[in-house]
This record gives sequence, structure tokens and C-alpha cells, in this order.
Amino acid sequence: MERRKLVSAALVLTLLGALLFMPPLASVFQIHRLVFGVPAEVIYLFTVWVLLIVGAWWLGSRLPRESEDEG
Amino acid sequence: MLSADLVTATGIAYVGLLFLIAYVSDRQARKSKSSFLRSPFVYTLAISVYCTSWTFYGAVGSAARNGLEYLAIYLGPTLVFIGWWFVLRRLVRISHNQRITSIADLLSSRFGKSSRLAVLVTVIAVIGIAPYIALQLKAVTSSIQAISGASAAQGTLRGVDDVGLAFGVAAGMALFTVLFGTRNVDAKEQHHGVVAAIAFEAVVKLAALIAVGLFVVFAGGGLEAIFSRAEAAGVDIYSTGTFDDRWIAMNVLSIAAIICLPRQFQITVVENSDENHLRTAAWAFPGYLLLMSLFTLPIALYGLTSMPAGANPDMFVLTLPLAAGQEGLALFAFIGGFSSATSMIIVESIALSIMVSNHIVMPLVLRFTQGQGVGDGRGVSQLLLASRRFSIALILSLGFGYFYLTRDSNALAPIGLISFCGVAQFLPAIIAALFWKDASLKAATAAVAVGFVVWAWSSFMPSFESASPLVAQLMAEGPWGIYWLRPEALFGVADIDPLANAVFWSLFLNTATLVVVSLFTSQSALERVQATLFVDLFRRQGPVGTLMRGSAATGDLQFVAQRVLGIEKATALFAGAGAEAGTPQFIDRLERELAGSIGAASAHVMMSKVVAGSAVSLEEVLQMADETQQAIEYSQQLERTSSELRDTARKLEEANRQLRELDSQKDEFLSQVSHEVRTPMTSIRSFSEILLGEQHLEEAERQKFVATIHKESLRLTKLLDQILDLNALERGKAAWRNVPTDAEAVLDQAVEVCSALARQRQMRLVVDKQGEGASIDADADRLSQVLINLVSNAIKYNDAPEPVVEVRSRRSRRHYIVEVADNGPGIARDERTLVFEKFSRGATGAVTAPGAGLGLAISRQIISHMNGRLELLPTRGRGACFRITLPLSGGAAVAE
Repeated sequence: MERRKLVSAALVLTLLGALLFMPPLASVFQIHRLVFGVPAEVIYLFTVWVLLIVGAWWLGSRLPRESEDEG
Repeated sequence: MLSADLVTATGIAYVGLLFLIAYVSDRQARKSKSSFLRSPFVYTLAISVYCTSWTFYGAVGSAARNGLEYLAIYLGPTLVFIGWWFVLRRLVRISHNQRITSIADLLSSRFGKSSRLAVLVTVIAVIGIAPYIALQLKAVTSSIQAISGASAAQGTLRGVDDVGLAFGVAAGMALFTVLFGTRNVDAKEQHHGVVAAIAFEAVVKLAALIAVGLFVVFAGGGLEAIFSRAEAAGVDIYSTGTFDDRWIAMNVLSIAAIICLPRQFQITVVENSDENHLRTAAWAFPGYLLLMSLFTLPIALYGLTSMPAGANPDMFVLTLPLAAGQEGLALFAFIGGFSSATSMIIVESIALSIMVSNHIVMPLVLRFTQGQGVGDGRGVSQLLLASRRFSIALILSLGFGYFYLTRDSNALAPIGLISFCGVAQFLPAIIAALFWKDASLKAATAAVAVGFVVWAWSSFMPSFESASPLVAQLMAEGPWGIYWLRPEALFGVADIDPLANAVFWSLFLNTATLVVVSLFTSQSALERVQATLFVDLFRRQGPVGTLMRGSAATGDLQFVAQRVLGIEKATALFAGAGAEAGTPQFIDRLERELAGSIGAASAHVMMSKVVAGSAVSLEEVLQMADETQQAIEYSQQLERTSSELRDTARKLEEANRQLRELDSQKDEFLSQVSHEVRTPMTSIRSFSEILLGEQHLEEAERQKFVATIHKESLRLTKLLDQILDLNALERGKAAWRNVPTDAEAVLDQAVEVCSALARQRQMRLVVDKQGEGASIDADADRLSQVLINLVSNAIKYNDAPEPVVEVRSRRSRRHYIVEVADNGPGIARDERTLVFEKFSRGATGAVTAPGAGLGLAISRQIISHMNGRLELLPTRGRGACFRITLPLSGGAAVAE
């Protein structure tokens, strides 16, 4: 991916994370049901969390380095 | 139960171990620059100082009381680190460039290096963190009590209540931190040893919490069993209504806290040795947080179902293993909790002490000692260390004070949220500092202050509700009964969570102040420079002399060149370049050419605009500012010159107007002169014609005619003499010479001349001289001429039955005054202003006595040459009175 697109991806990931953690999106999974023995909203929050971490890990090594900063 | 002595001994031994780690790491860090200590993982672990006893003990308590809510505290920081590229990277880069040492330093530096703002931020941070420190003290105290249980009544801790215990913990922590953090002063405020110890503690607390978590899952028979048992016991395992205003408020707070907490800033930004460590921390730190909160909910739910009712959920991490007889695990958990508390207290008080000593103590000490004894570097560093130690003691005692006042409230998490909300007040200013160039110092100061006040009112003060009846009353009724100012329902919004209320209003008013004041205030030059440095952080140019990057269309270049250099020269330049035009080398040459005309900085700016992909560096901006300054001065000069020109033009216009007036006066004068000359000329001509034509005239008649001709020609001569005289006077100012003259002597002479005339007319001439010794700057002959003119006029025109002319003289402080008064017909009121005009005679005088009417005009001219005044005094009834006022000469005036 291009440098600029990577930066955009980082921004999208951050904003998306914020949206997913907040109502109303977070409330979508308040369905009062156990999934794998755990309440669905707990599974949801931790899943989003893990995905964010994976996304940050993927971007972390790819985002431009000091020597190739934006001009 | 474990014995209190064992617990205390373990704690002290653990601290000893930390000290050893710090010591060894410090030495190793000094030996090699690229050791394990500077790896991104140690950095990430150190950032985990975010997880304090609040996380270790309080999160479980929070989960037991409010379900999923505890997660918000970790989701906010996760978002900040996922988005490290946008905020944290800037903070780290700026702080490296500017050698920032704390959050107070950051804000002060951005806003024109204001020391006042630094002091304000420091004070707010110290006050805001006090509850957080209290939280740690409370957690350690409770954990010691929980783990030693009944045995606390024996051993060394016998008879020590929780206040005493907390005091002991606070004192121990203060000593520990002083030993730890203030052994030396590093220019960059980096503490490698401390960071290593903190990283070690991060591993310990994570391991301890996971160990307890695994134990709980194992003991509870798996996650599903724990959840279903809790549901069966009536616990709301689905955290109904979690995602509400309070959830959002807590997320916002934790986002702010991970940036604004002094200890987080210290570790993440100040202790950062390589910007690229953020790449690892961006995922590793959220991962750490996830692991830390993974077992929180199961522990809480298992505790709620298996522990007796009334057990403190904040201590489940300790009490669950104890209840199962797992004393080793309990001790490990205690160490974990102790780790989280000590690491927080150490880093927080080091960060705060740097702020207090750098921004408050040092400036004060330097001001009051006037630099005595700090002339050498040693003195300064000694002083710094002393003030750091003092600050650490101060910070811990504030924490203890808060603990003491609020010891009755029991939950841990709410205390921490108060601190979060306090430091969150820095967030708007920090974001503005990084992204908004127009944010001004005044705005930042006002915004932080407003946020602080609202926080203190709506969040900090309510925490004393249980300690102070006054606060409780304020919260119930509002100040002076003003209902809408109740701290937890500001502006009457009552159906909102108190935390959300405090967070919303404080941050809203804070941000609004920042924006509005910024829009209405201006920045100082330094602020502007710093703003550019902060906001345009990544937009910088290499060292001077490097070629411009990018390329430009030759057409654009030629256009610029023509504008600046002129068509001929530009064409020659481009023709000479040929195919080379447009390359970086050519752009560089062109820039130098332009610089010759418009200055280097302006040329560079101009070229930067033309050449894509280039930007302006700070130095250039400064240079440009300098040139702009010169331009401003030049334009001010121009303005001055043009205003001078305008002035001159106005003066010229005025002079022209006067000239035209004089011209018309001259015309009038000439017509009057012609008229005056014509009268005697007419009689002379007619009489001489008679004499020539009539041969048979009688001798007597002939004589009479000749006499008339003679008289008229005399009058004509006199008139012409006077005109010449007046003319000479009017233009002869330069030739006039005033010399010190005895005024009374001149008056004597004039009176003597006139007394003959008076005798001839049988008139009384009364002389009253009281101006003896008056010396004036005058021309004696001319003055005499004026006096004679006045007195003789008075005599000539006096038609009174008993004519009297009075001459009075006197002197005032500065002036010599002569008045000539008569009891003649006087001068009509409407003629008073006219008598001094040329060719004007009193209505009466015109009939009775001949004269050209120039005497008074000449007299006034003469007196004005002697810097005096000739005026006609207003009189009642008969008579006229002229007054001459002449300034006494310098010597006489001084003698008075």
C-alpha cells in the first residue's frame, strides 16, 4: 500500500475503533445471550479489541519511517 | 491468613529488589547505548504504569458493582495507541526537538514559553493527582489489612489503624521515591534505572493478575459455569445499560488520561529514547491492557457468588485465593498489587516533582537568592535535587491528606476518575497546541483555568461529601440556594450521571473558552514561532543550501523570474539554461538570482510556492519575519514621509490662501492709496491750472493758491513717506534690531515733543510715570515715534471744552505698560477694531483733521516688531485710551 494510504488506514482504524466501542454500535450486541458461555457484549468488545491490536501490529511496521516522512 | 510481619517483610524485600534492578540497569544503560533496556518492549512495559492498584484491585470492584464499565478505562488508551501516528508521535517528536520535560513544560513551550501557564498546569496537576495517590495508599493499606486479616492485631502492626498504616505507607513511598528518582539529575530527565524497575513491576503485576485469574477460572469450573452461576445468583451479567452517558464519559476521560497524566507523559514521551518504539507500543500496550482486563469480570463474578455478602469487592484478587487456602498465590497477588501501587507512585511523583521543581521551586529560589551560590553547575544540580525531594514529600503528603479526609468512602475506581477528570482539563490545550496554530496563550490559560474550576466544583469537591457537612449541604441545595449550581447537576441537568456531568461541563466550557478566547486575542511573536514549530512539525526543510525537492513547470518559473528580474534578464537566464530549465540545480540558481533582488528569505518563499513539494523551514520563517519587519519599518518611513508631504501641502495651501488675501489687500491698499493721493493731487492740479490760466489774479489770491498747493504737496509727501515707512516695516522684520532701552527716558522725550503742541492747543497734558528703571528690548526712535503719534493724535482730535490728555506708565511683573488717554470724542464701538487698519480714520477725525490714517497702522506694526501689543482699551462715555504693553528685557524680568 502507498504511504499515504497507510496513514489513512491508521486514521480509519482509530476512528472505527472509537465508533465500535461507543453506543449505538456497542449496544447492538447487548442481546442478553451467552456466546461460548460468555455474555455476547463481552465477546464483542474483546473481539474488536483484538482486531484493533492486530490492525495496529500490521500497520506498526508498515507506516513510513523517519527517513521517509511526508515532505 | 498471613502474618502481618511476613507481609511487611515481603514488601520491603520486594522494594529492595526493585532498587537493585534500578541500580544495575542504570549502570548498564550508561555502559552501552543499545542494551535490552532500550528495547521497545521495555518501553511498552513501562507505559503499563498506567495500570495501577486501580486496575489491579479497583477494576474487579468496579466490575462487581457496575459490570463492563471498568473496560472503558482501557479502551480509551487503546484507541490513543492505535492512533499513535496522529497524536503520540507528534508529542514525542516535539518533545525531542524542544527538550520537553513535562506536560507543564509542553504547554508552556507551545504557548510562548509562558512561565505562568507552566505554574498553573503544575498546580492543577498536583491537586488533580492527589486523589490518585490517595487511591494507591488506600489500596496498599487495604491490601495489607486484607491479607493479614485478623493477624494484623499481632506483630509489628499491632494497634495501628488504617490511617496510621497509610501514613507509614506514604512515608515509606516518599523515602523510596527520593532514593529512586532523585539520585542524579539528567539533562533529558530520563531515568533508565527507574524505567527498568517499572518494566519489571509491570511483568510482576500482569503475572500475578493472570495467575489469580487462571486460579479463579479453574476454581469456578470454567467461564461458562462462573457466568451462569452468577446469573443464577441474580447478578446482572449482561451489564444492562452499560453503554450510556457514563460509558462515553469514561472513555473520553481515559483517552485524556493516557495523554495528560503526568506519569504517562513522563514514560511515553520524556523517557522515550526512540520514536520507533511507538510502533511496537501501538499494539503491545493495548495487548497488555487486554490481558490485564481479561480476567477482571470472572474474578468479580466468582467473588460475588462465592464470598460472603459484605466482602469488599475491591479486594477479591487477594481474598479469593486466601479463602481457598492458596496463601502463596495470595502473597504473589499482594506483591502484584504492591507493584502496581509503587510503580504509579514512583513515576507520578517523579513526574510531578520535575514539574514542581522546574516551574515553581527553582524560579522562586533563583529569584530570592539572586543566583547566589548557584553560579556553578554543582550548585544548581544540588538545588534541583533538594527541590525534587521536597516536591516528592509534598506530593505524597497531599495524597495522604486526601486519603485522610475521604477515608470513609470505600470504592477505589471513583477516586481515580476524579483525578482523570482533573488532568483531562489539559487535553483541549494539548490538542490545540498540536493542531491549531491560532490557539493563543491567553486562551490556553483561561481554558485550563476554567476547566479546573468546573472540575473542582463538580468532581473534586463532591468527594468530600462524607467528610464535610458544608459540602453535603452545597451538593443538596447549591451555593446560596442557587439550585442550578449544584455540583452534580450543573445548570439544572439532573438526569445525568454525576461523572458525565462533570466531564461534559468541564471539558465543554474548557474547550469553548479555548476557542473563543483564541479567536479574540492575538499571539506574541514567540507564540507564533512556537505555534509554527509545533503544528508544522513534520513540514521542515533540510539544512540551508540543500536543493529544493520536487519540480516546477518552466512556465511558472519564468513568470516568477520575469516579475522579479524583468523580462530581459529573465529571458536571458532561461535562454542560457536551455534544456536545463526546471531541474533542481536551475531552480537553486534562479533562487539565488531572485535573492539578489528581493532577499534570500522572500526568494525562498516565492520559489517554495512555485516548486511543488517544498516547504518553509523555521529559520526561513524567522528570516522572513525579519525582512517583513524591515518592510514594515520601511513602509512606516514612507508613511511618515507621505504625512510630512501632506503637511507641507497643507501649509502651502494655507500660504497660498494668505497670499491671495494679501494680494486682495494690496489691491485694496492701492486703490486707497490712489484715492488718498488723488485728493491732494486734484487740488494741486486745479490750483496750478488756475494760476496758469488766469493772468489777472490778485497777489493775495495768488499767494493763497500757492500756499494751498504747497500744503497739499506737503501732505502728499507725508503720505508717501508714511506708505514707504509702513512698507519698510511690514517687510523689514529681519532688519529690525531691538536693544535694551530705558523706556521711561523714551517716554520723557516723546512727552517733551508733544508738550509744545499741547501748549499750542491750550491743553492739559498730565504725565504719571511709575515705570522707573524699566528696561525693554526696543528701538528707541521708533518707540518714540509711536508715543508721539499716540499723544499727538489724542491732542489733535480732542474737542472737549477742557481737553485733558493723560499719559500713564507702570510696570508689571513681566511688562512695561504705557497708556495714553484723552477726554475727546472717543471712538465708536463698531470702529474699534478698524482704527488700526490702514487708511481708516475715526469718523470724527476724518472730518476735523487731515491725515492719511496710516499712523496707527504703523504704530501697531512697530510695537509688534518689539514683541509688544498696541490696543484700544474699551472705555465708557467720552475719551479713548490706547495701551502699549511691552515685555521687559530678560535681565529685568529675572531681577523681578
